[in-house]
Amino acid sequence: MTGNSGAGRELLSRRNFLVASGAVGVAGLAGCTENPSDGGDQGTTTGDSASLSGTINIAGSSTVFPLATQMKSAFQREYPDVKVNVQSTGTGGGFQNNFCPGNTDFNNASRPITDAERELCSKNGVEPVELKVATDALTVVVNNEAGWVDCITVDELAQIWSPENPPQRWSDVNADWPDETFNLFGPSQASGTFDYFTEVIVGEEGKSRTDYKATENDSVIIQGVSKNEYAMGYLGFAYYTENSDSVKALKVDAGDGCIAPSLETAKSGEYTPLSRPLFTYAAKSSLAEEHVAEFARFWIENSTSQELVAQNVGYVPNTEDEKAEMMDRLEAAIEEAQG
Amino acid sequence: MSTDARDAVEDGFGHVSRTVGTVFRYLLLVSTLVGIVTLGVLLVYVANDAIRPLTADPGWHLTFVLAFALPSLLVGGYLYRRDKSALFTGLNALGVPAVSLLFASAAAMLFVDVVPPLIWFAYVVAVAIPLVVLLATTRYSHRIPFLARVATLAAVTVASLGVVPGAIQSLPFVPQAWLVVAATLGVPVAGVAGTYADRRWGRRAAVSVAVAALVATVAAPFAGPTIGLDPLPATVLMALAGVPTAVYVGTVVVNQPERRVGLLLPLVVVAGALVGGAVVDALGFAGPQAWIDWQFLTSDHSNTPAEAGIYPAIVGTILLMVVVALASFPVGVGAAVYLEEYAPDNTFTRVVDVNISNLAGVPSVVYGLLGLGVFVRYGGMTPGTVVVGGMTLALLILPIIIISAREAIRSVPDSMRQASYGMGATRWQTVKNVVLPRSFPGILTGTILALGRAIGETAPLLMIGAPQIFDLPTALDARVGAMPLQLYVWATTFASPEFYTTALAAGVVTLLVAMLAMNSIAIVLRNKYQREQ
Repeated sequence: MTGNSGAGRELLSRRNFLVASGAVGVAGLAGCTENPSDGGDQGTTTGDSASLSGTINIAGSSTVFPLATQMKSAFQREYPDVKVNVQSTGTGGGFQNNFCPGNTDFNNASRPITDAERELCSKNGVEPVELKVATDALTVVVNNEAGWVDCITVDELAQIWSPENPPQRWSDVNADWPDETFNLFGPSQASGTFDYFTEVIVGEEGKSRTDYKATENDSVIIQGVSKNEYAMGYLGFAYYTENSDSVKALKVDAGDGCIAPSLETAKSGEYTPLSRPLFTYAAKSSLAEEHVAEFARFWIENSTSQELVAQNVGYVPNTEDEKAEMMDRLEAAIEEAQG
Repeated sequence: MSTDARDAVEDGFGHVSRTVGTVFRYLLLVSTLVGIVTLGVLLVYVANDAIRPLTADPGWHLTFVLAFALPSLLVGGYLYRRDKSALFTGLNALGVPAVSLLFASAAAMLFVDVVPPLIWFAYVVAVAIPLVVLLATTRYSHRIPFLARVATLAAVTVASLGVVPGAIQSLPFVPQAWLVVAATLGVPVAGVAGTYADRRWGRRAAVSVAVAALVATVAAPFAGPTIGLDPLPATVLMALAGVPTAVYVGTVVVNQPERRVGLLLPLVVVAGALVGGAVVDALGFAGPQAWIDWQFLTSDHSNTPAEAGIYPAIVGTILLMVVVALASFPVGVGAAVYLEEYAPDNTFTRVVDVNISNLAGVPSVVYGLLGLGVFVRYGGMTPGTVVVGGMTLALLILPIIIISAREAIRSVPDSMRQASYGMGATRWQTVKNVVLPRSFPGILTGTILALGRAIGETAPLLMIGAPQIFDLPTALDARVGAMPLQLYVWATTFASPEFYTTALAAGVVTLLVAMLAMNSIAIVLRNKYQREQ
């Protein structure tokens, strides 16, 4: 390899170089094309609905997370070029670390924004637009034959589901109830329903007795309760409505009398503590971008959808009135932001 | 040991029992196997869920046993009995295309979906101009003072990066995508192949190898469509997988005639797979309904397991790894060279020394917090982006890179440094010409293993606010997750029996394949390195 024929090799390689550069030049000319990006602006949002593109960042409540991902999938079927990133941080974490510092376009929330959070947001020039997207309601169900119970107090529920000295028989909780063993069904620990139920009933999220049949499959709860006279279970309201013939929903007494779970009582807030409104907060400045505004419109438009909200996620959809109210609020905010 | 001798003196031979020794021996065996076996069981379980071999038609299995497995085993066995080194060559000839194809696919993904070839071209040219200036000024270094060279280079770099990308992107006529890729990848690959050939077979062979490599790369976009590949990916695959494989096979054929027979193995394996596929198609035997399939590898996340895919996570992982490698390699190797070659032995360096070892053991969640604090809170960067994630992971593996690079540098014999000094070389020349070339394979091995750790990290990404559900990232400031994060989300947020046995299992297999591919490169490099020493 050490060259003693240096001159000859130089010559050879120079000739090769000429040949090669000629070939490359020809290939280069042949392979040229008009610059597609020349002059036109790429990747920015334009008003034309078919060509919407851009990125939407969403953070916040883990309860709203499945609803948000549902909306994302449905939205992207219409607008495949819009990217939507969804992060589950918890309501507070989302406001604190993402939304108010101006890093996200939406913040999902399973409770209304607090004054402190509003203040933090306004300090950073972020103006939240509150949009109610669904209602979360849990239903306690028993067997159709369980004639001894129609209404249950929150205290009794707490006693039954608490991990401390869980009662084994119905009569342990209320002397009027039969002296029979409980047969309990409920969602497993990975479920948001479980978190919410334990939080409002037992008093601490994730705290529950463990000797019940835990399942991710709501139909197992319905089947189990419908086949066993002394069974009790809890699940999302939407799933109960599909099976209202096979099981009986209990009224819940939180101190103001017995309230039956229904779309109306859940929305009016009477059905406490097992119902709560779910929100997403849009940043007004983000609504100036057409793809963000369009996503917000899409979400509100579909917030009444039985399929997306009730069947796929298990929450109570908005009423038409609520939708109209949210839409007005949204359009006003969009107008203000874009105008 | 000395105590044995004393016991023997005090108690004679004492009570001798074989049982203790035997029990001890098997206990050791158990402790050796416990980890491997439990992990193995899990992997078999996961792989079974991901691939579901039992869902295939028995005829499908029979066809592939007859056409693929049996011939491969027979040839493998024959090679094993005849010449083990030939078998080794055969296995390598299978591994080189497999691994290079994986990496080439990763590069192709980036070109197709993330970096528009024109922008890539613009930046390659912008970086190439200062490099050419660097080479030119180094050539005439004796005539130009050092500071003038540095100043020129800096000025050219700034000017080039500032002007060239914009200028190229606004040209009215630009090269087509495949041509850009053929030029920017094909030319360097041809250069590397030529250098390799030059070292082995001389200048004339080198020129033909380089030309052949370039021609193959340029021809690929025309040949690709005939087998159903788009021009752009075909070019990338040819440059990064086809050429290396051809060079490896060529080396075996030319230089190792006694091992040529080993190439039978890949021939039989590939032919068996093709024949098996054709027969199965013709006879209509259904293959396994694997969850890990083309649809899974190329789709976005979905709430329904059957439609869920891992593509954005794969691209996210690739982008993160690019940033991690670019950020951690120069810094880590620089620190290692300083500590090994320059640093005086004093209290300060000893403290640094101990701290680096400790930093390697700091839990990854702490590094996540560091990334959140430094880049997001203090630096004001958007949480969860490719840059933030990549730099956080780079910090995480920096100590590992430093330690392994130091190890590699230390293994360069001191006599070589002394010889270099003895010939009048300065310390800088010694490091540049003796230490770094000699230790480079070791440094590379350590870096790849460290990247293999980074690829599996979840906690830091969670800390810096990576989104759980994300779409294909197309820029360095896009919010992104990675494969392990996607698995974590499937296992927690979407926890359901369906996800556990479908998308999650398929995702685990994908992640492990990526990691094993990286590690296999590290292992091959290490073996080669050890043989050379």
